[in-house]
Amino acid sequence: MNIETERKKLVTLVGPPNSGKTTLFNALSGKKHKTVNYPGATIEYSISSFLDQFSLDARLMDSPGIISLIPVSPDEKVTIDNLYNHPDFGKPDVVVVTVDSSQFSRHLLLARQIIDSGFKTIVVLTMNDLLKEKNFEIDGRHLSVMLGCDVIKCDPRSGDGIDSLIGLIKTNLEINKEQIHRKNRHSEDDILCIYREIEELEKKVLRDLNENHHEDPHIAKANKELVIAGRGSGIKMPDSLTLKIDSVLLHKFWGIFIFMVIMSLMFTSIFWVASPVMDLVDTAIHSFESFVNNGLGDNWYSDLIAKGIIGGLGVVLVFLPQIVILFFVLGLLEDSGYLARGAMIIDKPLSMLGLNGRSFVPMLSGFACAIPAIMAARTIQNKRERYLTIFIIPLMSCSARLPVYGLLLAFLFPGKYFLSGIILSLIYITGVLISLIVAGIINRYKKTLLNFEDNSSFIMELPVYRVPKISNVFKNTYSNAVQYIQKAGPTIIIFSLILWLLTNFPGKPTVDTSNLPKDDPSVSRLIESERINNSYAAEIGKIMEPVMRPLGLDWRVGVSLIATFAAREVFVSSLALIFKVTESDDNMSQSLINEMKNAKIKDTGQNLFTTATAAGLIVFFMLALQCISTIAITKKETGGWRIPVLQIIIYTGAAYIMTFITVNGLRFLGIN
Amino acid sequence: MMTVADLHSGQTAIIKNIDFSHPSSCRVVEYGFTPGQELQVINKSIFNDPLSVSLRGALIAIRKQDARCIEVFLPNEH
Repeated sequence: MNIETERKKLVTLVGPPNSGKTTLFNALSGKKHKTVNYPGATIEYSISSFLDQFSLDARLMDSPGIISLIPVSPDEKVTIDNLYNHPDFGKPDVVVVTVDSSQFSRHLLLARQIIDSGFKTIVVLTMNDLLKEKNFEIDGRHLSVMLGCDVIKCDPRSGDGIDSLIGLIKTNLEINKEQIHRKNRHSEDDILCIYREIEELEKKVLRDLNENHHEDPHIAKANKELVIAGRGSGIKMPDSLTLKIDSVLLHKFWGIFIFMVIMSLMFTSIFWVASPVMDLVDTAIHSFESFVNNGLGDNWYSDLIAKGIIGGLGVVLVFLPQIVILFFVLGLLEDSGYLARGAMIIDKPLSMLGLNGRSFVPMLSGFACAIPAIMAARTIQNKRERYLTIFIIPLMSCSARLPVYGLLLAFLFPGKYFLSGIILSLIYITGVLISLIVAGIINRYKKTLLNFEDNSSFIMELPVYRVPKISNVFKNTYSNAVQYIQKAGPTIIIFSLILWLLTNFPGKPTVDTSNLPKDDPSVSRLIESERINNSYAAEIGKIMEPVMRPLGLDWRVGVSLIATFAAREVFVSSLALIFKVTESDDNMSQSLINEMKNAKIKDTGQNLFTTATAAGLIVFFMLALQCISTIAITKKETGGWRIPVLQIIIYTGAAYIMTFITVNGLRFLGIN
Repeated sequence: MMTVADLHSGQTAIIKNIDFSHPSSCRVVEYGFTPGQELQVINKSIFNDPLSVSLRGALIAIRKQDARCIEVFLPNEH
């Protein structure tokens, strides 16, 4: 048996950004749609089978958008190397190249390079409606002859032409593969040469729909060349509606104002729309937990399943609503064409700090969760700018810190919701300011800290404004959400299991309950909190005590800070456990606050939670890097321990020092 | 020598030459900035940077720093 005949055929989609490539992928791909990384790199591609209705037995691969086969960044090099020969799926049997017809001459560059390399190529002309609005049309048959490959017009948004494309793919799969040879037309002169060829070709295949069809074809052709060469002719002008919208959205002063409004709307929607859904998820997980606990009885494994596994799962799922909303809104902005403009508007201020306009979306995502944010930094081509963006993302106050701030602010300003709200906004704004300062400092020492220096650039196509296609946005949101669960899920669950072990073992409660009636609920409550007070976690916490003391805190807070490595919000439930608060959820935070007010440091008799220490804790949570998933994903995305270790040292060190200054500074001022 | 970075909003110019010693030159050419092409600066972002340029029927955002490798002349200088 020949391996080559056994292998599943591979159809690869290639195209420049905004050429409709991903929309085409979504229209062709079946339900089993998987996003994977190239081996050894952080570049994503999607692989799928074809939709069942096409009865086409082949793999369909979507590759990241590229504008030419000449790699500029290391990531592009991986993309292109994998196009020529993928380590798992081999060489593509057919390459489908998307070309935006309204961008014909620019997008044909890539198609020409693909054809020149000997791939069996199908050129898909998309956005034909946009070209038609300019009163032009491409002669597909003529183009096919001149390029020597199949050409088809297709609108993946409406589905027009998809069936014919499938037919072409089927015919092309049956023909034997030609020899693929990597062409080395790699100098600027070679590209100029290809462009000259394309311009000649464009003159021959572009038809002006206004011209009289009964005219002598030679005269018509001559006229057409005149029009194309002439200044300001229709084909050379960008979409007129887009120009009109841009005159407002990219206006020098209004542009930045509108940008701020759009971003704050998006930001508030992440919180206000998500919060009721998050509460719902939280309640569901809690009732599932107690259901399992009651069902399995009172023993250690029921506790393990309920608190360790289901509890860990809850931590993963509770952030899902925010992540879904974030990716949905980002998807809408991207599909409409605004996101590229946003990057352009913010590029200059960010570039002064060594960042890039493309850093903006990842930074914004950091307010929901650092994990998808760090993944989103992949769109930044320049490695230094990408690493710098990843570096500062943990300083954006992620949503896991919200419950902690909520508790501490309720402790500091009981009943004063308005004041708490203002302080909360200040916390967020300070986080952004600190991150920008850090970026500026790190960028100064980029050679020592990030270990390299290179050319930074910002060149980006601004796509035509379009009404976003909702089904497309939904599909992308879904795949991003799945990715978050796959990436963050295992780490969080494993850590929550480790924490469960640390807080439950060695588990020899020494509490004397003989003087209490047996069915008193306080018995189990006492046993539970005695267990944690004698656990390994408490041991670790007591070792940490000398470190916590200068901050005016003791081992109990220390243990809760260790627990935050699973997710920061665990701080609240961990404190509740240590302070023996077992009221139902509604009253939990109030009774926890009461307990916090009464808590005293054992040997000094001082109050544990004072205005000074609570403020100090807020500062600590603003700065410290204490999320294991963030560390794991940063290690993965930067390909080593250098960046995450630097982050832990710098951020957690700074957090400790700043907390010390805050606590003792406030005490010095007489605020205790 | 005049480059795209020197143009005002709304100004039209024709590409004369690309400075291949500039590190961004290859990318710039790939985006379609080739000698003989006409372009127009459409918008400038706050702080006058980046620019949005109309070229070959497309809008391209480009930093001034990158636009410096695109030498141009004004049509009436021809």
